[in-house]
Amino acid sequence: MNLTPEQKTVGRRNFLKALVGTPALVALGTNAATRQPPSGGPVKAALIGTGDQGRLLLGQCRKEFIDLRALCDINPNRLDRATSVLVKNGWAKPRHYENWKEMLKKEDLEAVLIATPLWMHSEIAVGCLEAGKHVLCEKMMAWDVAAAQRMLAAAEKNRRVLEIGYQRFYNPMYQAAYENIILPGLLGEVHFARLVWHRNGSWRRTEDPPPHFDPKPWGYADWDHLLNWRMYRQYSGGLLAELGSHQLAVANWFFNSQPSSVYATGGIYQYKDGREVNDHVYATYTYPQGRTAIFTSIQSNKFDHYSEQFMGTKGTLILRGEAEAFLFNEDDSRSTSVEVSKQTSKPVMDASESLKADAAGHPGAAATAEKVDRAAAYGLEIAGFCSAIRSGAPLRCGPQRAFNAASACILANESAAKKMVLAIAS
Amino acid sequence: MRTFNRRQFLSFAPAAQRALSGYWVHVAREAMACRFEVTLPATEPRGIAAASFALDEVDLLEAQLTVYRDDSEVSEINRNAAEGPVEVERGLFELLSLSKQLHRETDGAFDITAGPLIRCWGFFSRQGRVPDSAELESARRRVGMSQLWLDAARRSVRFAKPGVEINLGSIGKGFALDRAAARLGEHGLRTALLSGGRSSVVALGGDQGGWLVGVRHPHQPGCRLATIRLKNAAMATSGAGEQYFVAGGRRYGHILDPRSGVPAHGVAGATVVASSGAVADALATAFFVGGADLAERYCRNHHQVLALLVPEDPTDQPQVFGSHRGAAIEAISIDELKTRVSLIP
Repeated sequence: MNLTPEQKTVGRRNFLKALVGTPALVALGTNAATRQPPSGGPVKAALIGTGDQGRLLLGQCRKEFIDLRALCDINPNRLDRATSVLVKNGWAKPRHYENWKEMLKKEDLEAVLIATPLWMHSEIAVGCLEAGKHVLCEKMMAWDVAAAQRMLAAAEKNRRVLEIGYQRFYNPMYQAAYENIILPGLLGEVHFARLVWHRNGSWRRTEDPPPHFDPKPWGYADWDHLLNWRMYRQYSGGLLAELGSHQLAVANWFFNSQPSSVYATGGIYQYKDGREVNDHVYATYTYPQGRTAIFTSIQSNKFDHYSEQFMGTKGTLILRGEAEAFLFNEDDSRSTSVEVSKQTSKPVMDASESLKADAAGHPGAAATAEKVDRAAAYGLEIAGFCSAIRSGAPLRCGPQRAFNAASACILANESAAKKMVLAIAS
Repeated sequence: MRTFNRRQFLSFAPAAQRALSGYWVHVAREAMACRFEVTLPATEPRGIAAASFALDEVDLLEAQLTVYRDDSEVSEINRNAAEGPVEVERGLFELLSLSKQLHRETDGAFDITAGPLIRCWGFFSRQGRVPDSAELESARRRVGMSQLWLDAARRSVRFAKPGVEINLGSIGKGFALDRAAARLGEHGLRTALLSGGRSSVVALGGDQGGWLVGVRHPHQPGCRLATIRLKNAAMATSGAGEQYFVAGGRRYGHILDPRSGVPAHGVAGATVVASSGAVADALATAFFVGGADLAERYCRNHHQVLALLVPEDPTDQPQVFGSHRGAAIEAISIDELKTRVSLIP
């Protein structure tokens, strides 16, 4: 969704207007549980999988909530890089492990964060849950439905917290939109959600392997299979799993429902480089009560960026790039934006002479700094997970919603392969 | 879509309010070619609603005061007031009267009739150029508060001759913030920081002595000249570091001295704290034009005005004049040396 500056202005204004008069701006902060460190002290934890996503999580860990003691990865270079993230943030150097089972045996842990390639999620998560650890596992939940079911069952059997990394559920902007726009019904009757994640790039990583590194014992045919695991069906669910499941989880959340069927198409149209997952994906999800969500993810054009859009009889809500919210009322052109920042001892704003408009006549940037941003949602997610462990505070996403999103995305891939409409079991 | 009734919805509130402590909410809208923002404690349950109403006020005032729309009340005055008296809305009449008073008090350094000069220097269309002497003379003949006749009894305005025009660009934002702040007050809000384009600020209430606001150094972008704590006070900053053009090797800033008709020089930045946004805005412009002499004289003769001037010559020190009960300069940067100066009596 590419909005003109004028449309953005209108949309922001309306987003705010929609929030007007609603006393429960829950959203604009976070769950109280994620703001105060839980009693019982930080949760003793380790991270398995120290790639890009793992490092992103490490960068958002707060010591009041979590005591990170160990990192585990089969790639020693990634372990070193992740360690430097922690050390840079003032953490003690964590212990390193190559094998997660060995780590569980040797370390005194209460919880494990998992950010490995998708195909390993279930095996590791179930192993950790069986060992009595709480688990925060990156999305998508698991490679197939049976594996996701095993995770649900293991969490229940062992009475452990299992949260899946759908950080939008912890993002104040999404909370604001849900609590103050969706719940009160300000969009009217919503029959259509458009889920868009468009990029123009190969999605392919380039990186040298560590010296004398052999990924075969870990199940990867060669270095490229490990590095670019997202490209290969054996490990990955492709764009639907990596991108679509985030957005479908939001559609399910806002629709308070889950799709009953899916029809998907797609193919490898742009990057015929040996990859096995589609680089263009189009999935139509049918929900009960006449609702539809259409997810499109293309890798040949980035004009639309990424957003979730909800079209109702009274208005359109657009959540763009996990950072901006816009509301367009059907019969009103006004709009306002709302943002949140933390109170600090620094000045609330910096005054200066009037800043000149840019070449297009748009005003200078905001005077205030440090708005709650996209990355902060990961920190709130980890804090929420730790609070759930300590105090039983409810999870914002939780494994059942994650399961629903995963099973719908897994079936969408199947639908594209079989060229059939598939029913999704509720 | 599942819809909750109001009672169910309200049941979310208490936990929500706890969750919100420690956060500010920034409610913003684009108006007057800049960003208007209201910052509130996130715990204020009616805060966003009130801020939205306050910003509605800014929208209304822009529609009334702008010279960039033909259908504004000010455009109508500019079109018709040379022909005969034009009756104006009460608030606008008060603003015109205040402008006339401030013009007198600043020895003409603040002047809302500088519109013809702004046009002939190309700043109206944001394409600066040096006018020839005939153009400049022609514009100057149409500038001056003596060209503006106000009739309080009939609440009307009349121009002395055709070609006169008013431009409220140097007072409008502060005025709009004053009115927006009043709307917040009507909604029961006692703590908020309102700003328009960074340059105009109105502080309502504020814990721990008030709202801490930084002032950027006009010579060193990215550095703070000072931090000031504001409580129930307004602050405005004028400068020409951002809006200027260069011609024939000379730099021409966008703030014109209405008395000479040429861009003001000598001051790099003027920040003024006063009791209203409109006055702070006007005085910041006036002191930028009139320099330290005017600022010193004005602050000596008027209580509750604080001015912070940075001379154009980077080797000269910033100067502080006067004081305001709602403003404390907490830190000021002089030659990299940060000294703590409290100007609250």
